[in-house]
Amino acid sequence: MRTPPARRVRNALAVTLAWVAVCAALFPLLDMAVLVARHALPALRFKVLTTVTSGIAGGLANAIAGSALLVVFAAVIAIPVGVLGGTFVAEQRSGAFVRTVRMAADVLAGLPSIAVGYFGYIALVQALGWGFSALAGALALALLMLPYVVRTTDYAVAAVSDDLRDASLALGVDPTTTVRRIVLRAALPGIVTGVMLGVGVAVGETAPLLYTASWSSFMPTGRLTHSPVGYLTYVVWTYINQPFAAAHALAYAAAFLLMVAVLMLNVAARWALGQRS
Amino acid sequence: MAVSEVADGWRGRPLAAGGATGLDGAPESMPRAALTADARATGARSAMAAEAATIADGGGAVLSAVDFHLWYPGLHALRGITLDLPPSRITAIIGPSGCGKSTFLRSLNRMNDRIPGIVTQGRILFRGTDIFAPQVDPVALRRRIGMVFQRPVVFPMSIFDNVAYAPRIHRLERTSAGMWVRVERCLRDAGLWDEVKDRLRRPASALSGGQQQRLAIARALAVDPEVILLDEPTSAVDPVATGRIEDTLLRLAGRFSIVIVTHNLGQAARISQHTVFFLGGEVVEAGATEEVFSQPRDTRTEQYLTGRFG
Ligand SMILES: Nc1ncnc2c1ncn2[C@@H]1O[C@H](COP(=O)(O)OP(=O)(O)O)[C@@H](O)[C@H]1O
Ligand SMILES: [Mg+2]
Repeated sequence: MRTPPARRVRNALAVTLAWVAVCAALFPLLDMAVLVARHALPALRFKVLTTVTSGIAGGLANAIAGSALLVVFAAVIAIPVGVLGGTFVAEQRSGAFVRTVRMAADVLAGLPSIAVGYFGYIALVQALGWGFSALAGALALALLMLPYVVRTTDYAVAAVSDDLRDASLALGVDPTTTVRRIVLRAALPGIVTGVMLGVGVAVGETAPLLYTASWSSFMPTGRLTHSPVGYLTYVVWTYINQPFAAAHALAYAAAFLLMVAVLMLNVAARWALGQRS
Repeated sequence: MAVSEVADGWRGRPLAAGGATGLDGAPESMPRAALTADARATGARSAMAAEAATIADGGGAVLSAVDFHLWYPGLHALRGITLDLPPSRITAIIGPSGCGKSTFLRSLNRMNDRIPGIVTQGRILFRGTDIFAPQVDPVALRRRIGMVFQRPVVFPMSIFDNVAYAPRIHRLERTSAGMWVRVERCLRDAGLWDEVKDRLRRPASALSGGQQQRLAIARALAVDPEVILLDEPTSAVDPVATGRIEDTLLRLAGRFSIVIVTHNLGQAARISQHTVFFLGGEVVEAGATEEVFSQPRDTRTEQYLTGRFG
């Protein structure tokens, strides 16, 4: 059967528009990646990865280690809490508690990250007396990650077909085991996406860390409290404003490393998901 | 056993020496009091029966409903179902869409517990024990009364793991060799072994719909159930796959009590020994398949069978 000409024209138009939209979305991303890479690559020497910052120059070793420490620490807190909370809310389906958690997650997601930083400063740095520290910084980051993990887990678990739950329950498997072994497995791609989003946000945040982790040009000490920590976003944020070429180079190098880190996280997650099925 | 005897047993009196053990084997001539005492003695061997008061109604039936009602919010879906389901046979439940077949089937293993707002009244007895008694654990009950659904459902894991999933959770095998034996036996019983034996580690989602449905049957068999409930298991698969599933069920009859809801009258005639006709949430007619199909007692049954409604 032949496609009527009018429909063919409409098809072509729709396909063209779709491509325009794809380019419009991809162009700024690529443009930024190219800009960062062009400035960063000449400055990226192996020494940059192994030496600490000194003044407006030096390397990024302290910031790389600090970023990794803060993000891993935050993820270790936010992922279990977020996945458990999101799963619970999705399985409960309704009720006052469920509504409250969902609203709290939405409010938290909408909160400016500087507010989370300031809250961390008052509650953790001052009231609890932790001082500028890895613990305060990681908790602030965890608070920022949490809503992404909770909401995407909630959606992913709620989207799992009841057919799967029924099939497991009909084998005499209890509801908790059914959720753990079947529902979470089926929801895993969605949950991983949410965790990735959350980790990506945490990797890229500056504001919540300024008041909690502060900054340090030394390697992290291993002390959880009373010991400020350096991180890559601080270098990007501060050094780009310095009137020195060396500072700019370091800022671009830090931005480049952040970009690569987020990209690698995504690739790794996709690879892990691919391995499973 | 002659068809007429089965039909008599079907009418609510205990089946005459059906060859089954324990409660099911109680001869119909046994006085009621003796039957109850015997039931108690037998019940002591079965954990569930030991916990609950044993009632000897429908002595020959593996499952029986006694004036069972079910309401969804705003809908009286089952209106006083009284029915005995005989052991080790295939019972077909037929009737037009929306008459309550699935609702009844899901009541038998308490899958309806999951739906909020449901109200039930009356009793359903499994080997003499009311399944709604407070001491009955629905999770344990479902292990003994398995279920296969209309749409084929496979878990997002390998073919092998689909079958081994529940036995692992219930710790039915201590060794991996034992688990292999069990998985192979269930896949053979479900008539799927030859088709999948070389790709047991591949994702089950790659199987065809008909194969997925037989995998669901293998999975249900893997926990050693006593009863298997099937809700229109062939309505979503092609005729060849339907034939395979019917062969599978015929092979399993005798070892399990099977209850199958079907839209397909030919299927009911081909594989079942008993047929129940549902209409508007009530049982209109129940009896030996041969009799229900050849000489229905109720004109509504006759009308349904001749395609005049539904
Ligand atoms: N979860 C439910 N909530 C409310 N009504 C339902 C639900 N499931 C089924 N029903 C209604 O109950 C009646 C019987 O449904 P069902 O048992 O699925 O019929 P059948 O399997 O014979 O087609 C129908 O009117 C149907 O709309
Ligand atoms: Mg149905």
